[in-house]
Amino acid sequence: MFNKFKFFLTAIATLLAFNSAIAMGHKHSTNHHHDGVTIDDPWVRSAPPNAPALGAFMNIVNNTHQALKLIKADADGYDRIELHRTQQVGDLMKMVKQAFMPIPAMDSLLLKPGSWHVMLIGPDSVPKEGEKVRISLYFDNGEKQTVSAVVRKGQKMMHHNHNHH
Amino acid sequence: MLKKIALVFVLAVVTLLSLLFYYGTDSTPNNQALKKQLKVSKLLVNPNRPLPQFSLIDHNGVVFDNDRLKNQWSLVFFGYTHCPDVCPTGLMDMAMLEQVLENEKIQVPKVVFITLDPKRDTPALLKTYLTHFSEDFLGVSGDTNQVNQLIRPFGTFYEFVMYSGDKQVVLGQSLPEGVEDYHVNHTAWIYLISPDGEIFAGFPTPHKPKDMAKDIQLIFNHQ
Repeated sequence: MFNKFKFFLTAIATLLAFNSAIAMGHKHSTNHHHDGVTIDDPWVRSAPPNAPALGAFMNIVNNTHQALKLIKADADGYDRIELHRTQQVGDLMKMVKQAFMPIPAMDSLLLKPGSWHVMLIGPDSVPKEGEKVRISLYFDNGEKQTVSAVVRKGQKMMHHNHNHH
Repeated sequence: MLKKIALVFVLAVVTLLSLLFYYGTDSTPNNQALKKQLKVSKLLVNPNRPLPQFSLIDHNGVVFDNDRLKNQWSLVFFGYTHCPDVCPTGLMDMAMLEQVLENEKIQVPKVVFITLDPKRDTPALLKTYLTHFSEDFLGVSGDTNQVNQLIRPFGTFYEFVMYSGDKQVVLGQSLPEGVEDYHVNHTAWIYLISPDGEIFAGFPTPHKPKDMAKDIQLIFNHQ
């Protein structure tokens, strides 16, 4: 009888633990994979106080089985925001405005210097290093993501190699 | 048929001659050996193609002419401050290059940024912009015709472009009256100028500061 009771208690405890694990797991996944799109490492390149335009970069992950398009970016405190891509044609560096950025199904698009970037034009005031810029991103499946992009000097990789002082 | 062969021949000769003209006829054994060792730069020494006489204004309001490129090594970069990607990248690469050279105890060339957009990039504006990247950088502005003349022997090319809706319109090197919102497509090589005030080498894009520092050291060791 006592053994049965012990078994019963253990079973309940296990179930509870399991349940909370699931709940935690679910909470975890709500944060990261609930949405069709995940934005990793959003950042804005630090710029001179009189810079007429800033570049914003990030990795856009498409968790869906459909190809998606980033169709618009928005942030407060700028004259306008455009989607751009730097393309090298021979030795000529061309900055070409894009109507959208394509993110293939179950794949990602890396926005980085010298390539795809969000261009923040005409800042009211240029944000300083360490400050954050809230940028809203609109996708063609109706999804909207708002990210907090930190202002820093360069890509993370560069920070490891680069000796700041 | 003969005509075609003749045309191809003429084209080949013209191409070859212009390549020689642009990329140096310097064949001193010393530089030939150096040429082979350079990893990320191209030797552009060409005594037959000296820099033209030019006179521009630096970001402190002082005349910047041929003499300012003499008696020291300089790194010259052409760009514009409304450039959101290519120019900041180049300037950050050069700030990093300065640090690498300092750490390696190699002489640091003077970094000079010459604007291709003097209409918007005034000396005062350039000073604020450039010293953000490094206190040692020098911005240069001035007369558009002077800039256009100066860039020729560098092989630097630029064109103004604007957008009409989503369509890019190439304006060439002269801006129509009233056009305020434009970009500049441009080549983004970094050039090393020798203490005699002439082009010595060029670093094509993309730039890797550590590799650039190695080439600069090789060049200095050869002098």
